[in-house]
Amino acid sequence: MSLFSLSKKIKKLKQLKKQAQQNQQPSKAIPSSLLDQINSIKEKTGNSIDVVIRKLQLGDSKGPDTAVVFVEGISDSKAINDFLIESIMNNHPSPNSRPIYDILFEKVVALGDVKEIKDWDNLYLSLMSGESIILVDGEKRALSASTRGGEQRSIEEPGSQVTVRGPRDGFTESIRTNTALIRRRIQNPDLWLENMKIGSVTKTDVSIMYIKGIAKDEIVEEVRNRLKRIEIDSILESGYIEQLIEDQAFTTFPTLYHTERPDMVAGNLLEGRVAIIVNGTPFVLIAPAVFIQFFQSVEDYYGRADIATALRFLRILIFFISIIAPAAYIAVTTFHQEMIPTQLLVAIAAQREAVPFPALVEALIMEVAFEILREAGIRMPRAVGSAISIVGALVIGQAAVQAGIVSPAMVIIVAITAIANFATPAFAVAISARLIRFGFMFAAATFGFYGIILGVIILAVHLCSLRSFGVPYLTPIAPLIPANLGDTIVRLPMWAQKKRPRLFSNKETRVGDNQKPQPPEGRGMVNDTLEKGDQDEQ
Amino acid sequence: MNNKRILFILVFFVSTLLLSGCWSKKELTDLAIVAALGIDKNEQGRYVGTMQIINPGNVTSGMQGGGGSQGPPISIVTGSGDSIVELSRSTSRKLSRRLYYAHTNLIVISEEIAKEESISTILDPLERDAQFRSTAIIVIAQGSKASDIVKVLTAIDKIPSNKVIKTLKITEKIWGENIAVSIQDAIKMIVSPGKELAVSGFRVNGDVDKGITMENTQQTEPASLLFAGSLGIFKNGKLIQWVDGETARGSVFLLDKLNASAIGVEWEGKDEAISYELIRQKTKVSAKMEKGKPRVSIEVQAEGNIGETKVPIDLNNPHLLLKLEKEIEKEIKKEITMAIKIAQKSKSDIFGFGEALHRTNPKEWGKMASKWNDVYFPEVKTDIVVDAFIRRTGLRNNPHQVNQ
Repeated sequence: MSLFSLSKKIKKLKQLKKQAQQNQQPSKAIPSSLLDQINSIKEKTGNSIDVVIRKLQLGDSKGPDTAVVFVEGISDSKAINDFLIESIMNNHPSPNSRPIYDILFEKVVALGDVKEIKDWDNLYLSLMSGESIILVDGEKRALSASTRGGEQRSIEEPGSQVTVRGPRDGFTESIRTNTALIRRRIQNPDLWLENMKIGSVTKTDVSIMYIKGIAKDEIVEEVRNRLKRIEIDSILESGYIEQLIEDQAFTTFPTLYHTERPDMVAGNLLEGRVAIIVNGTPFVLIAPAVFIQFFQSVEDYYGRADIATALRFLRILIFFISIIAPAAYIAVTTFHQEMIPTQLLVAIAAQREAVPFPALVEALIMEVAFEILREAGIRMPRAVGSAISIVGALVIGQAAVQAGIVSPAMVIIVAITAIANFATPAFAVAISARLIRFGFMFAAATFGFYGIILGVIILAVHLCSLRSFGVPYLTPIAPLIPANLGDTIVRLPMWAQKKRPRLFSNKETRVGDNQKPQPPEGRGMVNDTLEKGDQDEQ
Repeated sequence: MNNKRILFILVFFVSTLLLSGCWSKKELTDLAIVAALGIDKNEQGRYVGTMQIINPGNVTSGMQGGGGSQGPPISIVTGSGDSIVELSRSTSRKLSRRLYYAHTNLIVISEEIAKEESISTILDPLERDAQFRSTAIIVIAQGSKASDIVKVLTAIDKIPSNKVIKTLKITEKIWGENIAVSIQDAIKMIVSPGKELAVSGFRVNGDVDKGITMENTQQTEPASLLFAGSLGIFKNGKLIQWVDGETARGSVFLLDKLNASAIGVEWEGKDEAISYELIRQKTKVSAKMEKGKPRVSIEVQAEGNIGETKVPIDLNNPHLLLKLEKEIEKEIKKEITMAIKIAQKSKSDIFGFGEALHRTNPKEWGKMASKWNDVYFPEVKTDIVVDAFIRRTGLRNNPHQVNQ
């Protein structure tokens, strides 16, 4: 009973809170006096020097009757000077004509996107996103002109997902550039973009992008709802969003894919996924994500299918090596010595002879040393980087062996594991494997191979339990969807991959019939040319 | 509630990790890897086991921190007891590590034990033990103690047990007077009623006392050398006879284990005039009942090349080649006949004639099985058909003498 009443009380409290929030923020109206307007802005922005307020005279009054307000740096100063200020100054309306506000709106402001603003909240939102505000004396409304701009990083090759073949452009920090990069690839009105502002303080632009008709409406709705749910002060990177909307919070595996490559986003949109683009970061989120996706690279689709298939098998192997290699070494040398060929066992035993630690401790020392080295390497300035690699090579490679702290075989195992880890195409999964590896090492040191198998089973069960926006993480393998198996570990040629992923897309067919390329029947073409050649010679 | 569940799972997992300890964990540095086991009997009638323990640091040369290859690659530990298990455990008083038998691939049994008691008493504990591999090779120490075979150091293969096994396997393939028999092969042969065991012997020559020093491996011609000996024929698990040379090869022929060999053939009155290099052969043994008596027919198909000629013979002449093939067939038949005669004399059916009869005439076999070795086998009539083919004559046709 008490529990029930408590929950009721909580509900009531929540309702009260909501009401209070709604009451608290009545959008204040804009005063009609220009002076009041300017003072109010000055007060609100704390006289910040990058908020520029330029008073101008347009009408026939003596003093200034108009003001242009913009924030320097995030707005395009050239556009403001040429099309706003200069335009206002050069315009001399005849006396007693229509109100100044209307003239401004219809004749003077030579910019594409001009909106009317009636309350302070929207005014500040526009102002802080780089738009210019035009205030008019005697009007309880203002104009906002789209002059977003300022210095931005240009489009460069993405740093995190480099390919040999494929487009070289990567996302930047500007959301508009990023959406443009995607739009250029999918020139279709069905590519829909929805915008929202998230973050009570930062008011960050977050857009969701999908292809209407291909993406499933339920999934788009789910993404929209999860984004709307977010109540947080700031969104500084798409990682914030990722943590707030993922299905399962306690897992090392990523349930959203992030990428810097517009071609990858385009490809995923065409498979019916939804992209979440966050202003201020080049990393775009893709939902829903499935496990097998993290072993695929965009290059797989640009290269030959057979080679891509072979590489995907290699990547799965790499994933297992990076998880299991040190654990297998521990299991074999402490539990299952009979599994190693005699010669190798003797060689390993000779190396272990000088090492004072049990295999687990030896492995931990090396793995931790390597993790330290890697962490140091990432954050170091480039000039120091080479020094680190020298120290690392000497300390881990040579000195540790000579000092008798670890055996050379262990160095090889750690090296293979590390390289395998680097070779995983998606960083998010690689880093997860890095962590799981330690669990496997403890399992192997406790139960041997039995422990490793137990770990693999737990891992498999865990992966099966994961979902990304309601889509099972292991599709199309578990649950098995035979029609979608053509693009998993195996990649079929383009003409054979006829279906889109069934669980999150409509309009399944994507390739026409009889698309398999074939040479023309008969050898007429070749023979004709050959005969012609013969005649020419004669 | 959810927190409680998570806590429970956490406690459950942590306690399984901590409470179980490292069950059956054994670090490499706590193991004495036994490469070979030699079993002798002392004057008191107790078993004496000689273990060849690998000294890993001395096997892998050029290893940093391994100590180089200064000392001997193996170390010997002996133990005695009334049973194999007892002798194995008794060594713990002399050894700082646990004996680890999973890599033991050679069992040496002394001739004395092989002759006096059934070999199955030795094989029983080896098969029962989980560590022992049933693929370990068995040899009989011929003319020496088993411990001598285990002790002597060898030069090229640093671990002596490897040398013994590889020697046996290679000579079985290219010479064919010995066979490599593993524990499981031996047990199969002992258990099968229509077949007896044949195991190779291994010998050591020279001075064993010098053979156990490192100097033995530092000479071009070792003072003491291990080499494959004769083929031992068993009956009811006991060694009864050694066979050598062509007889041994005849036996390996009949066992269908021969891969390649060199057979000397008589030509126009000259002994061993032509050498026939056997490259592959197939022997089929089948048995039938004829007038109430078992009769065994043996079909041999042999293929090979001419490897050497000492007489002028026109090898371009197909008639002569056919004649030569006949001679080769005669020689092979002779070897097989010799082998059968010896086996019949020892009343031990090492070739599995009984098994062949069992397959074709199970009813009659049932009556004969108990007395097969002693009564029926020595009387078995055999029909031997050999088909030999000369495939090539090497890189030249005729010997020099013919062209002159």
